[in-house]
Amino acid sequence: MAAVKQTVEHVASLEKYKHGFVTDIEQDFAPKGLNADIVRFISAKKDEPEWMLAWRLDAFERWLAMEEPDWAKVSFPRIDYQDSYYYAAPKKKEGPKSLDEVDPDLLETYKKLGIPLREQEVLAGVEGAPRYAVDAVFDSVSVVTTFKKELAQAGVIFCSMSEAIREHPELVRRYLGSVVPVSDNYFACLNAAVFSDGSFVYVPPGVRCPMELSTYFRINAENSGQFERTLIIADKGAYVSYLEGCTAPMRDENQLHAAVVELVVLDDAEIKYSTVQNWYPGDPETGKGGIYNFVTKRADCRGDRSKVSWTQVETGSSITWKYPSCVLRGNESSGEFYSIAITNGRQQADTGTKMIHLGANTRSRIISKGISAGRSSNTYRGLVSAHPKAKGARNFTQCDSLLIGKHCAAHTVPYIEARNGQSKFEHEATTTRLSEDQLFYAMQRGLSQEEAVQLLVNGFVKDVLQELPMEFAVEAQKLVAISLEGSVG
Amino acid sequence: MSVVSAIRTRDAAELPGKRDEAWRWTDLRGLIRQVPAPSDELDVSALHAGPFDALADEVLVVANGRGAAHIGVEPGESKVVALRIVSRGDGAHAARISVDVEVAGRLTILESYEGDAGGYLSQTGLMLSLGKDAAVERIVLASDGAEGVTVSQAEVDLAPGARFAQSVLTSGARRQRLETVVRHPGGHADLRLDGVYLLADKRHADLTTAVTHQAVDGTTQQLTKGVVRDQARAVFQGKIVVAEGADRTDARMGHHALILSDRAEVDAKPELEIYADDVSCAHGNTVGALDDDALFYARQRGIPEDEARALLTEAFIGEVVDRIGHEAAREIARAWIGERLRG
Repeated sequence: MAAVKQTVEHVASLEKYKHGFVTDIEQDFAPKGLNADIVRFISAKKDEPEWMLAWRLDAFERWLAMEEPDWAKVSFPRIDYQDSYYYAAPKKKEGPKSLDEVDPDLLETYKKLGIPLREQEVLAGVEGAPRYAVDAVFDSVSVVTTFKKELAQAGVIFCSMSEAIREHPELVRRYLGSVVPVSDNYFACLNAAVFSDGSFVYVPPGVRCPMELSTYFRINAENSGQFERTLIIADKGAYVSYLEGCTAPMRDENQLHAAVVELVVLDDAEIKYSTVQNWYPGDPETGKGGIYNFVTKRADCRGDRSKVSWTQVETGSSITWKYPSCVLRGNESSGEFYSIAITNGRQQADTGTKMIHLGANTRSRIISKGISAGRSSNTYRGLVSAHPKAKGARNFTQCDSLLIGKHCAAHTVPYIEARNGQSKFEHEATTTRLSEDQLFYAMQRGLSQEEAVQLLVNGFVKDVLQELPMEFAVEAQKLVAISLEGSVG
Repeated sequence: MSVVSAIRTRDAAELPGKRDEAWRWTDLRGLIRQVPAPSDELDVSALHAGPFDALADEVLVVANGRGAAHIGVEPGESKVVALRIVSRGDGAHAARISVDVEVAGRLTILESYEGDAGGYLSQTGLMLSLGKDAAVERIVLASDGAEGVTVSQAEVDLAPGARFAQSVLTSGARRQRLETVVRHPGGHADLRLDGVYLLADKRHADLTTAVTHQAVDGTTQQLTKGVVRDQARAVFQGKIVVAEGADRTDARMGHHALILSDRAEVDAKPELEIYADDVSCAHGNTVGALDDDALFYARQRGIPEDEARALLTEAFIGEVVDRIGHEAAREIARAWIGERLRG
């Protein structure tokens, strides 16, 4: 009950999207537009080796030949790719050696982010702060990386992608693009050509990463699309939990966000990837100004008995279009997908997962909870497939949709492809509205309508929330409440 | 672009293919390089009797695309019509049949697709229109040849208070699509769409349905079950749309499949598209093998394995057959299934 009360207070304190602010830091822009020269500019700006530039240029060539897909149940004005900035880096002072030297405006930004994640203390260098390794991405460039030493002792590499390209080219060359190939899809291909930065994690064989790894992505510069590239490799028997949290300032121009996340899981290894996404959803009345979140996330369970777990809480963005997927290649590998997608106002979400069973006795589990309110539209789209060789494959899928209000929409589009006689797939989906009886019951006991709705919604999404790491779960619960603000009555 | 226009123009590029979302698992363009020449006319009097002839008040035959084109039921009238869609030879043909059932009329359509060993391409379009409080039961038995390609496309328009119940049973074809599109007006109209597929060898069957609930108080029940063996491939696509304002809609869809060999395939896409909040919609989908425990139990009691499999499969399918309203047709359907499971 305390959590609910806290949530309610939180909601009351909120009038508008509180992360809507723009920090004015001198930007180092690439000129507007996209061509081979911009790709070269980005590569040069980041001191990349020749092979990396060649990789980018190849991706750019392929991208030119591709067509923008339009099959998702979302609608938005055509994106003018020439009207965007593809590179914006915070201006570097001479080699900041410690946090004190970091641009104070930047620290101020973290402060304003306000989410009481203890990462802020870590960033501020507070003694005794909990151990979360933070790789903060501030408009496309990793600014500060903490706890590197302790991680290094364990043998874990956790750094920005640009650093990894310089310091660990052999790993990057081996794994980059091996899960999401360059021309996998239109947005992934664009990302391959112009990706700015992102996180790189390598956990060596048998190592259990000593702390949760987390990253803040934050889009800050006006009109600069952000194209992160994340690559996480869990070598044999390794384990790592990675948290990704997002907020973004308010603005009027739509912003394109086309990230690529690749996870490589070898024998007996496990990766847990959690996301809380709270980007600016656009004006609730008109939908203007929100973020376009077109992300490709995929895990390749290459090794036997490997495991991947995706957990996501999607409350923001004007358009969310993403399907964190698992390729279950290794025998007895398993994949999980837990998702809460909330849309309100004019938001549109088309999200889900793909579980591709290739190895024998592979298992997957999908729990998806969609909530739509206002005039929003929320689609679950998922694929479960079993190859003829995936004997003994097993899937369980549950998709529940909750509708709040007369003008919202909820869709369920699952694809099931079973290609052998020894696998077992179960799928169930329901679409309902909030039960009036339950609402009445809660309100009879003195809760306001809004509180009652929050209570019921929290119950609805509980199965997914409990999959999140503790500190994320609390934040996520608040987000759920904030996202549904003003949806009832 | 459609199968009908491809047959008319003989342009194979007009055929739907796997790049068309609605046909992703039933690729005709990739299969048919050249649209066959129009089919020859058939001597109807030389045909054997159809499966439902004995049950019907009248028997209509559409042979290689030619023949009866209309079934009419007067207000309050009640009748049983056998509709035979016969395909022979290697040609292409298309037919269009309209069915009008006026206010409170009652009609049972006993429809059969009868093919031979030829490599025909057959398209049948049915337009069914049900007046207020009309009731129609459509039972379809699709026995196509192994080389035939069949596309059946039914469009159903319901008036408030109407009842439409359908059971489609098929053994597949080289490629076969049995499609039903229903415009559901709500207003206590009631819809049941059932299906059964029993596929062996390299046969393919695609049961596709799309139901749009346009206004308040409509119900839809769907149950499809099927069995695939050898290298057969079954496709189930079911879509339920609830338009804005179509409150108090109650829609349920179930699809359950058994795969009895390692090279057979089942593809399913049960879809919900909901624009109203006061609704209750659900779908369930399972794909798996026969229950080993049940099989073991049966064998322990001295039932040979093949027989035990047939029994369990029959019981699995039986749930759908039991929902057929017309008693005599139900027994014919049951016998048809038994033949295919044991044959």
